[in-house]
Amino acid sequence: MSAPQPFHTTRWSLVLAARDAQRPALEELCRAYWLPLYAYARRSGFESHEAEDVVQAFFARLLEKRDLAAVGPEKGRFRSFLLVALRHFVANWRDRERAEKRGGGRVRSSTGLDLDLPGADARLAQMAPATDDPERAYEQVWARELLRACLEDLGREYAGSGRGAVFDELKDGLQGTLGEGQVAERAERLGLTAGALKVALHRLRTRFRDKVRERIAATVESEADVDDELAALLRALAG
Amino acid sequence: MPEARHCTDCGTALQPDGLCPRCLLLAATAPSGSGGAVPPREVPTPQELAEHFPNLEIGELIGQGGMGIVFRARQRGLERPVALKLLAREIAAEPGFAERFAREARVLASLAHPHIVQVHEFGQRGPWYFFAMELVEGASLREMLRARSLSARESLAIVMQMCDALQYAHDRGVVHRDIKPENVLVDRSGRVKILDFGLSKVAGAKPGDTLTRTDQVMGTPHYMAPEQWERPETVDHRADIFALGVVFYELLTGELPLGRFEPPSHKVVVDVRLDDVVLRTLAKEPQRRYQHASEVKSAVQEVGLPPPLPPTPAPAEVPRPAISRGSALIQALRARTATRLAPHVEPFPLALKIAISLAIFLACGFAALAYLLLLSA
Repeated sequence: MSAPQPFHTTRWSLVLAARDAQRPALEELCRAYWLPLYAYARRSGFESHEAEDVVQAFFARLLEKRDLAAVGPEKGRFRSFLLVALRHFVANWRDRERAEKRGGGRVRSSTGLDLDLPGADARLAQMAPATDDPERAYEQVWARELLRACLEDLGREYAGSGRGAVFDELKDGLQGTLGEGQVAERAERLGLTAGALKVALHRLRTRFRDKVRERIAATVESEADVDDELAALLRALAG
Repeated sequence: MPEARHCTDCGTALQPDGLCPRCLLLAATAPSGSGGAVPPREVPTPQELAEHFPNLEIGELIGQGGMGIVFRARQRGLERPVALKLLAREIAAEPGFAERFAREARVLASLAHPHIVQVHEFGQRGPWYFFAMELVEGASLREMLRARSLSARESLAIVMQMCDALQYAHDRGVVHRDIKPENVLVDRSGRVKILDFGLSKVAGAKPGDTLTRTDQVMGTPHYMAPEQWERPETVDHRADIFALGVVFYELLTGELPLGRFEPPSHKVVVDVRLDDVVLRTLAKEPQRRYQHASEVKSAVQEVGLPPPLPPTPAPAEVPRPAISRGSALIQALRARTATRLAPHVEPFPLALKIAISLAIFLACGFAALAYLLLLSA
């Protein structure tokens, strides 16, 4: 789920503000968040092939639509907007499928979006979203993917500036506490003093926090919504 | 498919790299500058301690936290069980500690209240600054929250006891500063006991110190009042009221009040009048909160306790001590808060009904089959 351009230049708020939906911007957002959609489709009962078709066709349709003004209040959050749109799409899909079968032949849409769909089932299995409900699965996978992407970004950033070893040693410190013993061990492995290690950890935590907020900000309408979205994601993971 | 591993703190399924997404996200929601607790590496053995504490029989290690370690012990002569809390050496090594300890420990020991863990003795023995406290056989609210949700009635009963303790301490000029579910114990008779009153002041915690301190003695960020971060010099007892509000919300809903959170009555079945009470304790500005813990208690009493739940059988035991303990304590809490009920008639269990119906159905089926066989013979 890595975008070729820096992620933070694409903001849902900009997409919404533009009079015509900006196709490249929207494409980039879609490329980042297709796995939750796939999870929704799978949990809705579609087999892998068909779930693939659903996701590709959904994006094709979304990217062709020029007018986002018709979207309701949920448009403030990209996550909610996508879910509502997908829900309608899937409902109509089944009708369309029935019609197409009678017509004899299925048309596979191609969006030109390069999605790693074959790997998707394996990734979903690893996440083990603990629910049969398609919407809750969507929310959980969304939250997990967001975090995974942030970690990946951060890792790349550190590796790029020659601090890959620091990232590897300290990343589990992002989620909680490191004991005095662990600090000493890792400091030794990295050739730092314990004090310097703690500073590095603090910096890593701050950077991670900033990344998470940045990435979330790109999916909501305004900065004020970031805390709410964080709370919503936490609730999603509690399931 | 390999079983997903789960986080030992919150139970969420781990990512493939072993990290917990929920813990990561929680850490990302904390205000910047907060770190994590670093427990002391050196844990003395009971034998080592014995020479410093001749008047105590030292038992097992029962707790380890950011501020220090706790042993079970028994006061000789009195034969009284106590909890021996040893402050982390890094804390004691800080400049100004000895003076702070001398000044504050006496005040803490003078707090005598049924809902505050009693300090019996304090001082320094060898390298260890210590408190010998009342030993509470029970569980913390954190363990109880993990075990199962508390009913609204139980939550309110807990909050009211906390209010009594807080008001008592505040009247004596003591602010806790670190109220959180880990610091609120419930004993076997369902009585609340608040732990570690004023300890963060003894330890010299100051927000913004995280970079230079080797340990983390600040409050868990989610329970800290905004002024503890923004204007720490202005912090007073109303910070405890905020923290009480966070705990209150968490007890009722099982969640932390983050961002634009929903009022409790939108999340669980509670009296809507409680919403105002909880929201007021959580006001960002101290002057907009209740100004006294006793006011919070009165407000809750005015709303009134919901009716008690009928006695339920103990939930199926999961092999995790925390859950069994939590459940047992909830039973005790229920017993404490329940009024006398009419003799409770246990409804004929549904499972049994189904089993019996199935048995009858099968019996009829076999009878029919036998009859048919007989006919065809």
